[in-house]
Amino acid sequence: MKLNIFNPGLPLTIAIGAVVLIAALPLAAAPPSGGGGGSRGGGGGGGGFAPRSTPVTVDRVDHGSLRHADTQVVARPIAVQPRPVEQPREQPRPVEDHRVTEAPRADDHHEVARRPEPGPARFGFDGRPSMIVHRDVEADWARPNFWHGFAFHARVHALPVGCFSLVVGGFPYYYYDGVYYQQADNDYQEVYPPVGAAVPELPDGAIEIDMGDQAYFYAGGAFYIQQDDSGYVLVAPPMGIMVPELPPGATQVSVDGGLAYQFNGIFYRPVFADGVTQFVVFTP
Amino acid sequence: MKPKLFRSTTVSRHLYAGLAGLLAAASLAVVTAWADDTNVIDPRADVLLHRMSDYLAQAPYFSVKAEIWQDVQLGSGQRVQAGRTVELQLRRPDRLHAEVRSTRRNRAMYYDGKTFSIFNRAENFYGSADIPGTIDDALDTASEKYGMTMPLEDFLVSDPYKSAVQGLTSGTLLGSVTVLDVPCQHLAFSRGNIDWQLWIEDGPRPVPRKFVITYKDEDGSPQFTAIFSHWDFDTKLPDFVFDFQPPAGASKIDITEVKARNQQTQKEAK
Repeated sequence: MKLNIFNPGLPLTIAIGAVVLIAALPLAAAPPSGGGGGSRGGGGGGGGFAPRSTPVTVDRVDHGSLRHADTQVVARPIAVQPRPVEQPREQPRPVEDHRVTEAPRADDHHEVARRPEPGPARFGFDGRPSMIVHRDVEADWARPNFWHGFAFHARVHALPVGCFSLVVGGFPYYYYDGVYYQQADNDYQEVYPPVGAAVPELPDGAIEIDMGDQAYFYAGGAFYIQQDDSGYVLVAPPMGIMVPELPPGATQVSVDGGLAYQFNGIFYRPVFADGVTQFVVFTP
Repeated sequence: MKPKLFRSTTVSRHLYAGLAGLLAAASLAVVTAWADDTNVIDPRADVLLHRMSDYLAQAPYFSVKAEIWQDVQLGSGQRVQAGRTVELQLRRPDRLHAEVRSTRRNRAMYYDGKTFSIFNRAENFYGSADIPGTIDDALDTASEKYGMTMPLEDFLVSDPYKSAVQGLTSGTLLGSVTVLDVPCQHLAFSRGNIDWQLWIEDGPRPVPRKFVITYKDEDGSPQFTAIFSHWDFDTKLPDFVFDFQPPAGASKIDITEVKARNQQTQKEAK
């Protein structure tokens, strides 16, 4: 029998066939139920074939758990490559060259040698063995940034190259990568970060801590917030903010019989958070 | 006169077309089902997994050591591995002790059926939380309430098989290999966002020898790797193993709950 494509009933035929096919498609697309032959051991547990909807930006590798792989996820730290060193903007004045380039004295234990060396990447670390902060990883890479060597009132004979001056509250300061200096006789001494200081860029290793709608940047015991003109200003920390490490040189104190630390008039209380020790800013 | 059955009427043609469509759909269903046949656990893998799980679940107590390596991304973007060791001592149903050590960090976790304690040996801090119940309760509460997920907890719970097969889309037996000279069976499993592998010791003691988790939904698909050793099912574990006694000079600090710090996130900015 020849098929008459001009048969007036053909469209109806096609339509019925298509309807049946479409109606049956979900059947074809459905996942096999029950595991197809009992190879799942009868467990099933409600199927679970659908991919789990989890945020892409998670960091669970430290968990080492299937059971709680998606229970408690941590926002993945985002690596921001160090920006090229910028010349200080017009406001900060460069420090006198003879001071900056002068060789450190033998008794100067805060000499420039502890500064991270600028230059090409070494071993993939960009000259800085810093790593992305992962709060619950027992990773053991030292990540010394310049401000990790801060010691209150430690004296240096020469300021680091790239240091610039600024005035905060009418007092002159010098600043380099998270460390503030003031002149002391013929030397400079490291001082606490002054609230109100404005710097063009964040210190290396600054950690962003988002609290509410505000992003704070924490480094060397200082909390910075971004200004509209893309610079950063040092502010007093909000109570309750949690930081992963104490400022260098924080001293242990007792507050109401409990252990605490103090740095620059800011009090930190240690707590366990996510199984590791962190520090909460509080008012005694 | 043609038999009625073969009478070529418009209606019957429509019926044939419908049947043809149904047949096509059925064929498609069969093909799709065949294609999805990978979404099941190989029975041999399932048996081995079940056997290992039963062995651990039925052990009244055991000790084990594991070396853990996990991928970490440096600030430069380079991926490296961080290592640590975990020593576990367990007595069912409600005793657990873990020591987690790396070069500089050193912390312990104790659970005695009533209290979960964490001790930071490096800084001499400890904290405690009341979690009455079983090991399962302690692990779930520690993870969900306090954000402390115990590595390798999948092998500590009362029914390791149950949580292992949850959400699985495939399971395969890859064959015999050795892990640190121990003959093992290599299994590979997959679920939505995770691939994981398990190496189970051959012979009468089907314990895990290696465990790898690959997080497929994270950048670079980082891996968590644990290599087990020093399995001990003979040495009895008395109560004092699980009782935490703060050493002299240790300071008690709070354990914060996850919900109390949800408003904060931290990341390296530069």
